[in-house]
Amino acid sequence: MAPAQRCPLCRQTFFCGRGHVYSRKHQRQLKAALERLLPQVEAARKAVRAAQVERYVPEHERRCWCLCCGCEVRKHLSHGNLTVLHGGLLEHLASPEHKKATNRFWWENKAEFQMKEKFLISPQDYARFKKSMVKGLDTYEEKEDEVIKEMAAQIREVEHSRQELVRSVLEPQAVADPEDGSSALGGWKGTNSLVASTSQQPSSVDLPPTPELDWMETGQPLTFIGHQDTPGIGNIHSGATPPWMVQDEEHSSVNQQIGPSYEEFLKEKEKQKLKKLPPDRVGANFDHSSSTSVGWLPSFGRVWNNGRRWQSRHQFKTEAAARNKQQSHREKKPSVS
Amino acid sequence: MSFLLPKLTSKKEVDQAIKSTAEKVLVLRFGRDEDPVCLQLDDILSKTSSDLSKMAAIYLVDVDRTPVYTHYFDISYIPSTVFFFNGQHMKVDYGSPDHTKFVGSFKTKQDFIDLIEVIYRGAMRGKLIVQSPIDPKNIPKYDLLYQDI
Repeated sequence: MAPAQRCPLCRQTFFCGRGHVYSRKHQRQLKAALERLLPQVEAARKAVRAAQVERYVPEHERRCWCLCCGCEVRKHLSHGNLTVLHGGLLEHLASPEHKKATNRFWWENKAEFQMKEKFLISPQDYARFKKSMVKGLDTYEEKEDEVIKEMAAQIREVEHSRQELVRSVLEPQAVADPEDGSSALGGWKGTNSLVASTSQQPSSVDLPPTPELDWMETGQPLTFIGHQDTPGIGNIHSGATPPWMVQDEEHSSVNQQIGPSYEEFLKEKEKQKLKKLPPDRVGANFDHSSSTSVGWLPSFGRVWNNGRRWQSRHQFKTEAAARNKQQSHREKKPSVS
Repeated sequence: MSFLLPKLTSKKEVDQAIKSTAEKVLVLRFGRDEDPVCLQLDDILSKTSSDLSKMAAIYLVDVDRTPVYTHYFDISYIPSTVFFFNGQHMKVDYGSPDHTKFVGSFKTKQDFIDLIEVIYRGAMRGKLIVQSPIDPKNIPKYDLLYQDI
């Protein structure tokens, strides 16, 4: 018998010599292993076209096991603060050692020839990836710049509103116009959280009470609509009956009921019964109360009709029209002759 | 006998009956009151109408008064009985050439009751055509006239 050999893919010892590679079990293991590896390679291949640059995160330290070389490879390429996604894996896949190892693997395990190409990255692809990586880096830099600019603008805005607030406090007389007052207050309310959070706690505590007093004194005066004092009718303070408890003249009869009448109640009962019927019965959605024209015909599958049941109506109408024409034609004839 | 069952005399009344019968089988007998076979059928219909009141509503239609429906339903032999459920026509396979209506009279009351029950059950299940429970021996024989002869 052949000497004992260990197959690393099946993780088993076998005595069949070279025959083991062709067995069903081995091929199955091979397929499963390649299927596990394929998605990683595909993701890396996608990155060839559109390389993504991200900020460094500890997750980017992940490694991937390359089946053909039998070694662990860093998936993403990171340098300093930035990472290029799938860079490491691509670099490994493009290397000549990986190519040699892949060929040997394919030969030894008798895998499908067409699949081999999928696991290799040509040097041209790698060059393309490098180019897109450069582009990705540029766009990333631009994005970072934009973010920084936005933050700067925000800080400037906060500063500005704070200045306005200080100004408005120092000039209480000038705040007679309600529009100005409300805009200053709006700004104050919006920036109150920011002001409190950024810095200068004692000054923010001082600012709120003074504008509030300002607004209460110098706001628009209320409209006066007269003393509500009719001598005959009492009001809430004197303990008179509230208007909604007073019996109206028209509604004093006993016939007025609140809620549904008896007929409506019966109809509701009928509807409940209907709900219990099977929902897929014939004509479940037939609207019984719809008004139809004089020429309405029910859906009838006629004896002599070609086509489907719902077309029988149409056919009947055309036949009826033809018959009427014939009849009127016949009626006309005797009058002519 | 036929005066016990409600009669429909115009197309409008027939339309009204078709539209307003809800969740019950609508039985329309097309024929003439004086015709002997019609009298037989009307007897059976009226005697069973109260028992079937929860499942079926039965009406008599005079073929001379409603020419539209006589043409539409292809009534060539009387009496002919057409069945509807919720405004939808129900076909029944009796073993005869015409499935759209029942031609002639029933042999016994039980035949008619069975037929109504089968139609009702079929309709509740959503079936537009059902198999008749009546023994084919009891179904009246007739020749289906070819159209336009």
